[in-house]
Parts: sequence; C-alpha cells; structure tokens
Amino acid sequence: MSKTMSANQETPLLVVQNLSVQFDGADRPALDNVSFGLRRNEVLGIVGETGSGKSVLARALMNLLSENGRITAGDVLLDNQSILGMDDAELRRLRGGRLALIGTNAKALLDPVETVGSQIVRVLRAHRGGSKRTAWREAVDMLGKVGIVNPERRARAYPHELSGGMAQRVVIAMAMITSPQVVLADDATLGLDATIQVQVLDLLVNRCRELGLGAIVITHDLGIVAHFCDKVAIMREGRIVEIGPVGKFLSGPTQVYSSELLDAAKVRPTPIVSKTPEQTTGVKSATLLDVANLVKHFPIPGTNEVVRAVDDVSFSLARGETLALVGESGSGKTTIGQCLVRLLTTTSGRVTFDGDDLIGMSEREFRQHRRRIQMVFQEPYVALNPRWPVASLIGEPLALLSATESVDKAKRVRELLDAVQLPARLVDAYPHELTAGEQKRVGIARALATRPDFVVFDEPTTALDIRVRAQIIDLVRELQTEMGLSALFITHDLNSVRSLAHFVSVMRHGKILEYGPTETIFASPQEEYTKTLLKAELPIEQSQAQRERGEKRLTGAMR
Amino acid sequence: MTLIQYWRVLPRPLRIIAGRLVMIVPQMFGVMLVTFLLVRLLPGDPALLMLGNMATEEQIISLREKLGLNLSLYDQFIQYAGNVLHGDLGVSPFTSNPVAVDLLERAPATLELITYAMLLTILIGVTLAVISVVRPRGPIDYGSRVYGLAAGAIPDFWVGLLLIYFFFYVLGWAPAPFGRVDAMVTPPPTVTGFYTIDSLLAGDFAAFFSALGRLLLPVLTLAIVNAGALMKMTKTVFADAYRSEFIRHQRACGLSERTIVRSALRNSLPPIITLVGFLFGFLLGAAVLVETIFSWGGLGQYAVQAVINSDYPALQGFVLVAAAFILVVYLIVDILYELADPRIKV
Repeated sequence: MSKTMSANQETPLLVVQNLSVQFDGADRPALDNVSFGLRRNEVLGIVGETGSGKSVLARALMNLLSENGRITAGDVLLDNQSILGMDDAELRRLRGGRLALIGTNAKALLDPVETVGSQIVRVLRAHRGGSKRTAWREAVDMLGKVGIVNPERRARAYPHELSGGMAQRVVIAMAMITSPQVVLADDATLGLDATIQVQVLDLLVNRCRELGLGAIVITHDLGIVAHFCDKVAIMREGRIVEIGPVGKFLSGPTQVYSSELLDAAKVRPTPIVSKTPEQTTGVKSATLLDVANLVKHFPIPGTNEVVRAVDDVSFSLARGETLALVGESGSGKTTIGQCLVRLLTTTSGRVTFDGDDLIGMSEREFRQHRRRIQMVFQEPYVALNPRWPVASLIGEPLALLSATESVDKAKRVRELLDAVQLPARLVDAYPHELTAGEQKRVGIARALATRPDFVVFDEPTTALDIRVRAQIIDLVRELQTEMGLSALFITHDLNSVRSLAHFVSVMRHGKILEYGPTETIFASPQEEYTKTLLKAELPIEQSQAQRERGEKRLTGAMR
Repeated sequence: MTLIQYWRVLPRPLRIIAGRLVMIVPQMFGVMLVTFLLVRLLPGDPALLMLGNMATEEQIISLREKLGLNLSLYDQFIQYAGNVLHGDLGVSPFTSNPVAVDLLERAPATLELITYAMLLTILIGVTLAVISVVRPRGPIDYGSRVYGLAAGAIPDFWVGLLLIYFFFYVLGWAPAPFGRVDAMVTPPPTVTGFYTIDSLLAGDFAAFFSALGRLLLPVLTLAIVNAGALMKMTKTVFADAYRSEFIRHQRACGLSERTIVRSALRNSLPPIITLVGFLFGFLLGAAVLVETIFSWGGLGQYAVQAVINSDYPALQGFVLVAAAFILVVYLIVDILYELADPRIKV
C-alpha cells in the first residue's frame, strides 16, 4: 500500500468487528461473528432471506436492538469511535444524525397524526436546533430534492394521504436532512413499483455519492445489488457467508448458498406457449370471460371529483388462458380484479362469464357463480382469519358447493394441501405460525378448493424471498397445466409475468395502453410507457457504468 | 353547485363541527320526548301521585286541569316542549320552587365538583400510565398495577370517609365536609356558578381559598376512584403506540425521549377522549354518594331527593338537564375525536 492513497480510502468509515447478537430465548445467535468495513463513497449490499439477520444487523449498528436482544461480542466503530461505548446523549446524536436508517414500509414509519413536513422538521431540530420556520423551509427543500412534486403542499399532507412511493421519499428526506455519514436502507423499496423503486434507489445512491456518504443497502433483490452496489455481502442464519465486489459475485459466487440464491433470482422459465386451438384459428368460441367498457369511479373526499380507477376497460379471456394485468400501483389493476369477483360494485360496463352477465345479477344469483370464480388475495396474512387453523381455512369455501356435490371435507383438504405442496402436518397450524410462502400457498389452496374455472391472482409473487418466489411461480404453472384454469394475473413483477401469462395488458391511469401476447410485448413494446416499465425491471447483471466504477475502485485499492 | 357540493369542499374541522351540531337538534328532541313519556309511562294518575292519598276530588280535578292532563297525548307533548323551550320545567311541589331555579342553583355545584375531579383524574391516570409504560418494572409501574386493581374495587363513599377521617379528623388539614364554602364566608356573586371562578372574578380571595379547600377532598375522592380505569385503558393504548413502528423509527432518527412520548401520547388520544367523555357524563349522577358525604347540595342529591319524594317535575327536570349535559359532552367528545385523528372520514 502506497502513501499516495487518499486518506478516505485508507480508513474505513464504518467498521464492524466480530459482531454477535443474542435474543433471549433464541437457540442460536441472531448475528454470529459478523465483520465488514464500509468506506466513504461506497455502497454495500447485504442480501439474505427472511430470518437471515439482516434487519437485526441494521438495528445493531445503531445500538437499537429491541429489549430482549443484546450485543454479546464484537464492536461497531464509526470514524474510529465505538458506538457501544456511547452514552445516551451521544447515541441520540448518532441515530439519525450520523447514521440514518431508512426502513421498510414507509407508511408505518411515519407518525399518522402529524403532517410529514413537521415530522421532518422534528428530526432536523432534534439534531441541529434552529427555528421552526427555517427548519420548515429546509424540509420543503429536501422534499423537493427527493423528487416530490409540489413539496410546499405535500409537506402539509398526512401520511395516509400519500402513496407508498411518496411516503418512502419522505422517509428518505427524513434520513438525508441531517446530512448523515452513513445511510442504512433496510429493504427501503420493498413493495414499491419497479419504476418507483428505480427512481428512489437512483436518488438515494446518487445523493450518497454526491455527498461522499457510505451506504448499506439491505435487500433480497439481487437486481438491486447488481445495479446499485459496489460490494455485496450474502447473509444466512446470522452469518456473512460471502462478501466481495459485486462483479466478482455475479460472475461466480464462491459458496453453494450464494449460487443457489443467484440461480433462483435468475429463474426465467421458458414462457408458456399458448396451445389452445382457439388461438391458432383465431376463433374465440370458448370465451370464458368477456369484459366490456368496465368503469369504476371512487369519489375523492374533500372535493367533488372522482378517481377514474378503471376507465373504460375491455378484454376477454378464453378457457385455459392466462392474462396478466401489469401496471404501477394506482393503475386500477386490483380494482378490476375486485370488480370481477364483485367485491366492489361496478360503476358501469358489462362482465360476461360463460354467457351470464355478472354485473346485472343479484347477490343471491351471483353466489352460485362464486365457486367458479375465485380470488387469491395480495396479502395472505391479512386475508386469512387469524383464529382459524389451516384445515378450516381451506375447508371454508367448500360450503359454497351445493349438497349434491358435497365431498369428504377432510379428504379434499388433504388433496388441496398436496396440490399446493404443503405438508399434511400443517392442517392444525394457525396463520401466524406459517411463513409468508406457506401463507401464500394456503391462500391459493382456498381459491382452488371449489375447483373454479377462473381465478384472479392479486400480486402472487410480491414481497416474497427469492427462492420462495421461484417456488410459487413453479407451483402456479403446474396447477394451471393440471387443472386447465383460466387466470387473471395482477402484478407488477414482470419476471413472473414472463413465466406465467399468455397475454399481457399494460395498464396506466385506469386504461389499458397496450395488449398482446407476452412474448411480443416483452420483445417489442410499442408504447413509451411499456418501455419505461420494462426498463425498470433490474436485470441481475451489472450495467456498463457500474462495472467501470467497480474496476476503478479495484485498481484504486490495489495501487 | 348543489348543497352537497358546497359541503364537500369545506375545511375538515368545519365539516366535523357543523355535522355534529346539526345532529344535536333531533337528539334533543328525542330527549324531550323520552322525559315527557317518562312521567306518562309511570303507573297511576300523575295528579294523584303528586298530591298524595289525602287529596280531595276537587284538588285532583283542578290539578289535572292545570297540568293539561285532559288534553290528548300529542297536545300535551306540544305544550311540554313549548314550556321547556321557554325554560319552564314546572314547579316542584316539594320545594315549591320552579324546577329550573332549583336546577340552576345545584347544577353548577356538581359541575364544578366533577370538572375539577375530571381534570385531576386525567392528570393522575395519564401520568401514571405514561410513566409505567416508559419505565417498565419500576416502582411506579408496580405501584400503578396495585392501584389499578384496588381502584376498581373500592367504593367512592368509603374513600371519601377515609379521607375525611385522616385529613379532617386526625390531621386537621382539610376543612369540615359541610358544603361548598365556609359558613362564615359569603359565596361570591354568581357569574359562572363555579365558586372558584366567581370568587376570583369578584377578587374575593377569602371565598376563593375557602371554596378551594372545600373542593379538595371530594375532588380527590372522585379522582382516586375514577383514575384507575382511565389509567388502565391509557396504559394499554399508550403501550401499543409506544411500541409501534413509527415510534421505533423516531428513536432511530434520534428524537429525544420527550418528543417520542409526546408523539405516542398524541396518537393514543382518541380512546382517552372517549373514556374521559363517558366518565364525565357518568359522574353527573354517580357523584351522588360523594355529594351526600360532603353535604355538597348538588344535582345528584337533588335527583335522589326527587325520587324519594315522588317529586316528578323535579325528576323530569333533572333527567332533561342530565341528558342535555351528556349530549353536549358527547358532542364535544365526537368533535375532539375526529380532530385528534386526521384519518377519520367525516
């Protein structure tokens, strides 16, 4: 090492030495001997599945573990100062001042009864003091810098009035307003639209680079790592399995687990080629579902206007066919799904299912159709009754069957568990005892219980771990080929669309912009918006610029 | 633009208040109907009941005439409603005062008592709840748990008697438990009916301190008994808020503990407001035992007297005033509740 190297690169900004964390009553440590360093102007990605300890790590770095957890060994040094030796006042200055955390699910992180502007002001004044008026001006400035349109007005909004992406920007503004030295982003873009995710991460990483901050991006999306990070650490069961430059990791991980993750994330199963005869002949004789000029309006509180959530949408679906509705949140895709199963009343339009008009019929008549039309809900945990065991949850829809069709309930539940590949021992488990992937499967089993002809899948793959997501995609594909289901996929996960759907409709502002066979849409999108959407999907490979940056850093370190 | 369109663009607080105020009209009408029917539904002839067994036939007939009992039910109600709107609640045969005059004299006594009791209840209940959540397993936490158990089980008159025994009889710190102000001191001229406020307005400090001293023990009694319930509920709500994601995030942002507690408390306000409103309305009648022990001469005592004496106009008047009071309290609660939580749709 020569002396020409800059001081910045010589002394890491943040050093974690053999950090171990134990929670009361846990049989293994949540963090086990974790060590790494973070330099200025460096972005470290930490990747791991649920339970790998990555969020515990973020909290431990701020010395902010929950009550029953404690650091049993090791140290965390920020600028050569141990944070474990700090008193309360120093810790308070550290948190949010020198080390800022951007958490998951921004809407839950914001005080629901305070305007977002005053929440940012609160943070700024806790660290820098100053008058409310100047702090407010700075907060509005910062909101503008994180890409919020009309920051003056937005600063006066309450969190529930903001979209998820907007709330996430507010949380980023809250973190950035104190100009911290290190930014910790803990799954900061989970559940956001791909386009928003890219914007938010671009913004975060660019601001970190502008100011020469260190950033730790905790995620389970390897696309994010490939795109934004310089270094990556793979975590499993509280340990860092592998750590190194992103380029090197992507071209050849050294550990078995790392390569498993990488493979699962890259899963691009060959698209299902539609073989239905109707398609080839062009005769739509077996049309199962026909939606014509569907419109759904919601009134906006405090005004006389309405949101045109669904604005004159038409499409049709043949038996055994799968259509994907893609678009960002707020594009109206979930609303369409809920109108089809009559969870929402439709403003106008016509929905014909197997020759029957669904919109016009009474609730009693529609009940007969419910068993043929089912829905898999987006958030399985919220959609499952927490006080019911799996057997009752899956058995419940069987009550929709008429007496003549009545089946041996226990037997059918076992079949369904089998179909969604859940072990039979789970029949007595309650929803909170299941993992997110298992909950999704129970949700799917519920929808399949009555052997429906048509199923609406609302975001079946969102917010799942890399490997679980791949498993769910495989499961749905198998079920479809076995049962000949027609399905409507509502998603913003383009990767899964490619693996699951025959046709794609791209939605925006309640309208269908572009429609076509999946391959065509992905290969040659016509609309500008579709192109943006496709571009926002982060491939698991480094961009040219990122690769060059990596090489420069590498030579810089070796010089 | 139609009316509904004007309505939708009003600022939120205005919509909340206006909406609630409109509701009070049918509610008051309902209350009048119920108090009217209350007497009508009683078994027997009201005139006979009022006059007692010794009444002569002529007396009964003339009273029936006077009370308008010979009119149809509908006309009687119209007459009653008209009287009430003009402030005429009838004359109490027992005190031979107009009921409105009696109530106006006694209502402020009870209101002063329960207002101060409520303020102290909030102070004790919320403070204990906050401290025991912020410092779990501390002395206040354990003490408040014992208190929470005990407060639900101890009757108020017993607490009152204990306080009188120790602070008046044994220690001699508190003034005698007889009325709202010392017999040697003239009550201040009535402005609000609250002696503490009226005496200050009149600049009469002797009356002020005397009234304050007399308030001490009954207010303490009511607060001790009622703060337990408020504390327990606040503790649950506040503990939830205090452990929520956004509070953890505020801590990660380095906000001071003071700010964090304030923010969690601000978020726990809606249920606290509801319970305080309920307790306030409840105390109006429920303070009667405490009023009796301290010879307070309040509404509760008046109502009990009216029941004992079969004094129907007085009882009717009390129910009307109590119902109106509770309506107003709930109106304020509803308004505050919606103002406290910006997420509630109006």
